[in-house]
Amino acid sequence: MFEKSLTDLIQGLRANKRNETAYIQKSLEEIQSEVQSSDTNVKSTAIDKLNYLHMLGYDMNWANFNVVEVMAASRFSEKRSGYLAATQSFHQETDVLMLTTNLIRKDLASANVMEVSVALDGLAQITTLELSMDLFDDVLAVLGHSRPYIRKKALICLYKLVLKYPEGLHAFVPQLKERLDDPDPSVISAAVTVICELAHSNPRNYLPLAPKLYHLLNTLTNNWILIKIVKLFASLASIEPRLAKKIHGPLSQLVCTTTAMSLLYECIHTAIVADVISVPVPIVDSIGREVEFADLCARKLTLLYESPDQNVRYVGLVALSLMQQKRPDLASIHFEPILKYLDDPDQSIRMRALEAISGIVTRKNLSKTVKRLMSQLILSNTIALQPEHSAGSLFDKSSVNSDASSLDTPLLDSNGTTFASARGAIISPRKANSAASDPADNPEYRLAAIEAIVDMCTRNSYSNLANFEWYVATLVDLVYVASVDVGKLLSAKLLDVTVRVRQVREFSIKMGRSLLSDSQLMSQIAADSSQAPIVTTAAYILGEYCMLLPANADDVGFLLPESLPRFSPDQQSTFIQAAMKTYTNWLKDSSEYWNSDIWESVRSVTSTTLSKLSELIYTEDVNVTAAGSNAGGLESAFALLPLQMNSQLRHFIEILKAVSMATSNLSESAPHICQELHSLFTAFELNPVSAAAQGKVPMPDGLDLDSFIGDAIPDTTLTVIPPSPPPHVVRSHRSGSMGQPRRHNSSRNKNDPFYLGSSAKDGGDRNFDDLPDVDDIPVVALDLSHIGSTKLVDNAKKSKKKKSKKDKSRPETHSKRHRRRKAKSPSPSPPIAPVEIAGDEDMIDDSEDGMVIAGQQQQTVSAAEQLAATTSERSIVDNPGGDNIGKNEGHRSA
Amino acid sequence: MFLESIRFILVQNRQGKTRLEKWYSDYGEQERQKLKAEVHRTVASRDQKHQSNFVEFYNHRIIYRRYAGLFFCFCVDTNDNELACLEAIHLFVEVLDSYHGNVCELDLVFNFYMVYAVLDEIILAGEIQETSRSVILSRLDQLSNLE
Repeated sequence: MFEKSLTDLIQGLRANKRNETAYIQKSLEEIQSEVQSSDTNVKSTAIDKLNYLHMLGYDMNWANFNVVEVMAASRFSEKRSGYLAATQSFHQETDVLMLTTNLIRKDLASANVMEVSVALDGLAQITTLELSMDLFDDVLAVLGHSRPYIRKKALICLYKLVLKYPEGLHAFVPQLKERLDDPDPSVISAAVTVICELAHSNPRNYLPLAPKLYHLLNTLTNNWILIKIVKLFASLASIEPRLAKKIHGPLSQLVCTTTAMSLLYECIHTAIVADVISVPVPIVDSIGREVEFADLCARKLTLLYESPDQNVRYVGLVALSLMQQKRPDLASIHFEPILKYLDDPDQSIRMRALEAISGIVTRKNLSKTVKRLMSQLILSNTIALQPEHSAGSLFDKSSVNSDASSLDTPLLDSNGTTFASARGAIISPRKANSAASDPADNPEYRLAAIEAIVDMCTRNSYSNLANFEWYVATLVDLVYVASVDVGKLLSAKLLDVTVRVRQVREFSIKMGRSLLSDSQLMSQIAADSSQAPIVTTAAYILGEYCMLLPANADDVGFLLPESLPRFSPDQQSTFIQAAMKTYTNWLKDSSEYWNSDIWESVRSVTSTTLSKLSELIYTEDVNVTAAGSNAGGLESAFALLPLQMNSQLRHFIEILKAVSMATSNLSESAPHICQELHSLFTAFELNPVSAAAQGKVPMPDGLDLDSFIGDAIPDTTLTVIPPSPPPHVVRSHRSGSMGQPRRHNSSRNKNDPFYLGSSAKDGGDRNFDDLPDVDDIPVVALDLSHIGSTKLVDNAKKSKKKKSKKDKSRPETHSKRHRRRKAKSPSPSPPIAPVEIAGDEDMIDDSEDGMVIAGQQQQTVSAAEQLAATTSERSIVDNPGGDNIGKNEGHRSA
Repeated sequence: MFLESIRFILVQNRQGKTRLEKWYSDYGEQERQKLKAEVHRTVASRDQKHQSNFVEFYNHRIIYRRYAGLFFCFCVDTNDNELACLEAIHLFVEVLDSYHGNVCELDLVFNFYMVYAVLDEIILAGEIQETSRSVILSRLDQLSNLE
């Protein structure tokens, strides 16, 4: 059988470009038989070929065992193929790895240096916990090899082993220390490399090595190792600040003399991180002058970031942004040069410049910087809407065609060393395209730019800020230009500045009002859109500080926008709360110059607001509408609202009712309620409190925050639909718009098995207009029911205790009676349970029983009573016995 | 958690064909394919003349250099010295060039195992182990004599 060599395969692949897949398939089949061959040469060639195909993306894990066979081959070139294939294709969980232990051990002990080397290379790459444990001692033994080439590799291999097997560190570290004295520089280099990596995560262990490393720092000349040592000192100085003074000398010497940018950068980096720049010892620079090290670093930094080479410029900016964190005083002189990098075409450079500049900015140049960033954001915003350059253009025809020639292009030009000219020789056809794309279109950059703007304005409690109104206006502008998700950030900052800076509050209100009155913005907003949080904050501010400006009835309208149902429940409740505050504030203002026109407008605003709120309740959820059609109307709609909105809405509606009642006739002077309502919200001023303030309040004795202060809260996810009121309490008024969709839903829900509705005995569709009108809800009912529910807890508790004993002796009496009643019960009515069954276990989860029992009370129940009952319907169902309250209330209103 | 200084090395041509891949951290087969495609997308789209050779890549940084039609990409930790890494890439290419004599992409294709051998002499398990060109070249001569 004729076997293909690796070269044959590669040539074949190139010759069969058109049907490459078929060719590879055929080759794979050949390889499959070749790896079974008894000839190790054939086998290793097959593995080589397979390895090549693996690089093209084909699976080779099926040949794992054969790879191990080739690793064990006696000929070096074959063995090497095996190890190469293993390092390329084995993973941590490859099962044949456990078969390799002995063969690697044998290779490590080989007399052939190259075999040891290949084994070390391979092991370092493929090692697992088991291999590390088993072979640790073998590799440690190799560390004493006569050849530096092997000692060096063994050091790095051991580092990889202890990553998997940290217990090995105890034996490894002393050896590692010894290797720092190795006669061969490359072994020292490897030892320093390993210490540098290990010390990065745990510097304390390597602190004792500092004197030796210091010596190396002074004597070595190889820049590669010097970089590692300088980096290592940055780690060590983080736990031992005194080192800063120690390395001041050699470090400043290096900064003065070195011509290698990479070493210069590393030195400045360490000087900043380890705070060597603050050591007050002057140094002598290259021309014999005495200078401060900090000044020298600053000058060298300028050299870095002013470099024509983008790469050097990049690291210069990285170092500068580090410096502004540690020593903002030293960094400020770099402001002007850095500003221009904000417009650099390279996004990485811009990002670094952003990082650097936000700390350099001062009161004087803040607005200039922000203006620059804002103009970037605004100008690019139009471009951002265009589709991006598709990645597909990478594979366009022109570049494919040009490929044929470029395969033969020398990677380095004839000089061999000047990489810049080699790079310039090849001109990418795409260059023009990519240069056209503006980094300011990149969402990542936009986000960073906005964060930088906010950061530089708020830094050190707004110490850079001269004009707060300008800042608030900037925040509001950002809402429009951001086009990335910064809503949370902006809203937090807007709130922060408004609460903390009294002088800016009026302006914040104006800006907030302008946001809320922007119908275009408000119409396209939804809970998950990035503007939602900031609009909500604007609403909060408008509500909280509305008394600072002349009241305006329009505000109430802005705070109840049509898009409100699209906000999240939390946000909605903020809006409603704010609307409540502005409304009452406006009432108060209006009542000061009360006349018939004012009276008219109070009437109209009150009724519009009321209808808006009712709409809000019914559009909240399809189910709410559906529930309304079946039964309790407004109240059942309430029951389905999220908890926090529920109470907000109730309160607001109650207020509106009260006002509309009080202003039903034109009076001489404003009703008291109009004047006094707003004081409900302003009795105590809300002051900004430091986040740490709570910690300063001493904990009262005997305060136990972990124990329950009452009974466990009933599961409110269970929604009980109360039955409809009996026909004789029906109010005639009904708005058609509400009735229609509900009728539709009720028929749809009949077939829905998951729909918890009242059944046919309710009278079905008849009831949708049996609902009490919004206007009929007595304001007082709510409070009483709340009091009721707390009392009920007590009642229920007591009776439960008594009951539990009784029930054991007479388990059936009560429940049987209920069931009989249930059968007789003529029609359902609000769930008002009699006292006698309080605490009965049957009642707790069984709403139907609750309804039925309530049925007996029907005759004495008035409309008001029903409403009071339904208001607290949850507590009644859970704590039967609520009729106490219901009755009292009923009698009173009757 | 300890960190390797170099996470992976990729040599890709402009069409995204891999000419060399070396993974120093444990990446699954699928992850490798994904990373290869992403690195190519990231690097090939950059403006060679006006942009730096460093690009952020997830929580790491890719240091790359383009030689003719080939991109040499090293993925490193963000706290690594970018300039030193760039020099390591150049050292790698210089050694390849000296070894093959005016190296081009085809040399890498046909001698793919030699390329790995060269890389192993410079970088071991993600750490730069040898920086002297002459030492590396003499080692490689020794290797080829063994064949």
